[in-house]
Amino acid sequence: MNTFSLKKTWPAVALLGLAACQPELDAPRADKGSADFSSYVAVGNSLTAGFQSGGLASYGIETSYPAILAQQFAKAGGGNFVSPLFTDAQKDGSGYLKFFGLTNTASPIILSPGQSTTVIPAGETAPRTFTNNAADYKLAYTGNRLPSGLQELAAFTGSQPDNLGVPGISVLSADATAASVTNVVFPSIILNAAARGYGSINNYYQRLLPAADRGTKDYVTFIGQKNPTFFTCWMGNNDVLTYATNGAVIDAANPFSAMTDTTNFGRGYRNILRTMTKDGTIKGVVANIPSVTNVPYFTTVRLADVLANFQRINPAITTVYIREGSSTTARAATANDLFLLTAQTQLGAGAGTSPTNPLPSQYVLDPTEVAAIQARTTQLNNIIAKTARQYKVGLVDMNAFFNTVALGGIAINATANSTAFVRGNLFSLDGIHLTSRGYAVVANEFIKAVNSTYNASVPQVNPNEYNALLLP
Amino acid sequence: MNSKLLLLVGGVLLTGTASAGGYQVTLAGQKNNGMGGVGVGLSLDQAAMFYNPGALAMVRDRGVQVGVSATLARQAFRAENGSVQRELQNNTTTPFSLYAGFGPTEGKFRAGIAVYTPFGNKLQYADGWEGRFALTQIDLKSIYVQPTFSYAITDKLSVGAGLMVLALGSVNLQRDIPAQNASGQFASIELDGDAKRKLGYNVGVFFKPSDKLSIGVSHRSKIDAVVEDGDVKFSGLSATATPNFQATKFQATLPLPATTSIGIGVMPNEKLTLGLDVNFVEWSAYRNLDFVFDAPVNGQLTSSSKRSYKDALTFRVGGQYQLTSGLTVRAGAAYDDSPVRDGYVTPETPDADRITGTLGASYKFGDHFSVDLSTQFINLKERTETQADLISNGTTDRVAGTYKTRVVVPGVGLNYTF
Repeated sequence: MNTFSLKKTWPAVALLGLAACQPELDAPRADKGSADFSSYVAVGNSLTAGFQSGGLASYGIETSYPAILAQQFAKAGGGNFVSPLFTDAQKDGSGYLKFFGLTNTASPIILSPGQSTTVIPAGETAPRTFTNNAADYKLAYTGNRLPSGLQELAAFTGSQPDNLGVPGISVLSADATAASVTNVVFPSIILNAAARGYGSINNYYQRLLPAADRGTKDYVTFIGQKNPTFFTCWMGNNDVLTYATNGAVIDAANPFSAMTDTTNFGRGYRNILRTMTKDGTIKGVVANIPSVTNVPYFTTVRLADVLANFQRINPAITTVYIREGSSTTARAATANDLFLLTAQTQLGAGAGTSPTNPLPSQYVLDPTEVAAIQARTTQLNNIIAKTARQYKVGLVDMNAFFNTVALGGIAINATANSTAFVRGNLFSLDGIHLTSRGYAVVANEFIKAVNSTYNASVPQVNPNEYNALLLP
Repeated sequence: MNSKLLLLVGGVLLTGTASAGGYQVTLAGQKNNGMGGVGVGLSLDQAAMFYNPGALAMVRDRGVQVGVSATLARQAFRAENGSVQRELQNNTTTPFSLYAGFGPTEGKFRAGIAVYTPFGNKLQYADGWEGRFALTQIDLKSIYVQPTFSYAITDKLSVGAGLMVLALGSVNLQRDIPAQNASGQFASIELDGDAKRKLGYNVGVFFKPSDKLSIGVSHRSKIDAVVEDGDVKFSGLSATATPNFQATKFQATLPLPATTSIGIGVMPNEKLTLGLDVNFVEWSAYRNLDFVFDAPVNGQLTSSSKRSYKDALTFRVGGQYQLTSGLTVRAGAAYDDSPVRDGYVTPETPDADRITGTLGASYKFGDHFSVDLSTQFINLKERTETQADLISNGTTDRVAGTYKTRVVVPGVGLNYTF
């Protein structure tokens, strides 16, 4: 009798235990705090638009930090968020750089649409030609040209989107009332006129603007048309970066090619925040400007590597010659000079090998130029911080964040990530803009600031679920 | 009889999800399993060879016994920045034990051979889980074979010793590599190796001053499981990433730590037996998990991952009561202090302090044959580690989040005594 009941009950007890066995962990509580995410709008430049690997395409827009933020805000009462995607038939937008592998000297082979190159690939002995066929892209160019000479992009159809990021835009070029003083060589009247007509200068702004507004509506007016309940703003980068990426050389044809002075920047930035906060009533967060010295565009090409490449062809070479600033004579480059990523083509063609053939100034930042850019970045970030306080919005200290990442990298769920070019996972093939994973990391920084500013609990994303560079 | 049984259990899957702290498995006797795992201060049956070789000489019966358990683990994991709860895929394992004891009916000694699985771990995480770059699956196995001799110096005091042979040890570790190919797929790495055969010892003293009291002390030594010629396999690597991932062989060492135990048995009457054990496991031997490769893995010839385990105690209490001449029932409980420090939890041993409750029963069929049944309900405390913890400990090679694990371990044992 005993055995009988034992045999019957024991499996039942075991099954009971199993049924109760799967533990459950509650989902983290999502809470909007004192913020209201029901209508979120993002303003900013290329970093906000989702620009990556030298171009803007639907894929980048979909994985831009505002798109990721909107997805997370949706868990805390956020509403619909419209991204200005290209149509499926034109999903590659402006086109972008592609990665074709490494050369035998471990340089990445990166080509823009239509570009080709002949190099010895890694693991091979004979040169081979790589071609990035432009026909492989579904581009969004109309065939027309803007007055600035840039190719017109197909206009985004539909009502004004919620991601208003415009690649290339600066604070100075966003506001037709910003300039009150001459900036370096550009008088305020020229600057303000260019900002007003920015839709006929910048094709990324052009595609968002109704055609009738192209020559007349500046960006501040355009973003003022929105009535969000929450906004993010990451602007000011191009007020130093345009100058820096051009090797600290001003382009007389581009009124926005100098670093923006603090007077004009302050006026413009205050106008932007006054507009977005509707005079301090709408909540949001703003991000400041990272240091150029933490961006692979300025840190990847190093003197030692340049010399080593020279010496492969001519072992006698011991010096890399550059011409800097207003100097008319060449000098030897030092480890303190920052070669731009774009210098590789020039260096590969022999520039820098002799005093009579120095690397031109626009491909190098010398220590004086770097210091000037750093100093201006600090000044502009001070204005951003002060204006954020004035309009009672949160601040995302991207400058400090990228300093930390540049110093020690950032670990994400057992992966190591850094600001290194190609290998670092965060920066895309252009060396300035981020990968989708990098944008997800940035989105988490925004979320931290939103949560701390508004006592909210918006969940962060797992950046590893977003693509870094895809390796051929 | 012996070899036949060995073949029988050899067909069963080996070892188990750790049922004690770390990757230790203390499921060596089905009677003990039902009593919270006590046994060092008792002389219940042939499983004394594992729990306390010194007690073997005091075991009245000689015989053969075989036991097998199934560890049914269920886990929930939420990453610090994850949106869904992750659950394990495949994790059922079957630790087993086999004992054969011999000796003269009225003699002072007993000899025997024990086969058991003292360490093991098997986990397979959900596809695409947040910790995939730390681990996607692990299968760690060990089988000890232990010839044992026990001698009763007086009728109150006996000693015993066993030669532990790490007869079979193997490890299989798999994880994803954070390098994406052109279609966005991550590559993966698989490490698979067998441990070298190694020796250790298991010694014990058993003292039974009266019919109502017994005391035991035992010590199982540490064995370092050394893999010298493990295989490294990559899959899904893109051409660009391949030059950085060239290894084909690895070496690694995993300590199987020493355990010192003290146990007390109280027998208030003939039908009731109570046991109390404390185990001290020298987990501090597990400082780092180091791999040496024959060629680069992500450009490196070695890798080192911090473990920094601490020595840990387990407290066990249990008892059995003979209800009828045939039926004995058991119950017990245990508390495991986790050897894994805060901020050092890894996916391959998602350990936490454990509270275990156990039930068991035996039934005798005639004079020679009996069946043991046992079930353990193991509850691991919910455990959270944040990315900030990982950064401050230098342990960012694992994933931040919250683990919660429960394990149910039903088991069955067959005894033949003569």
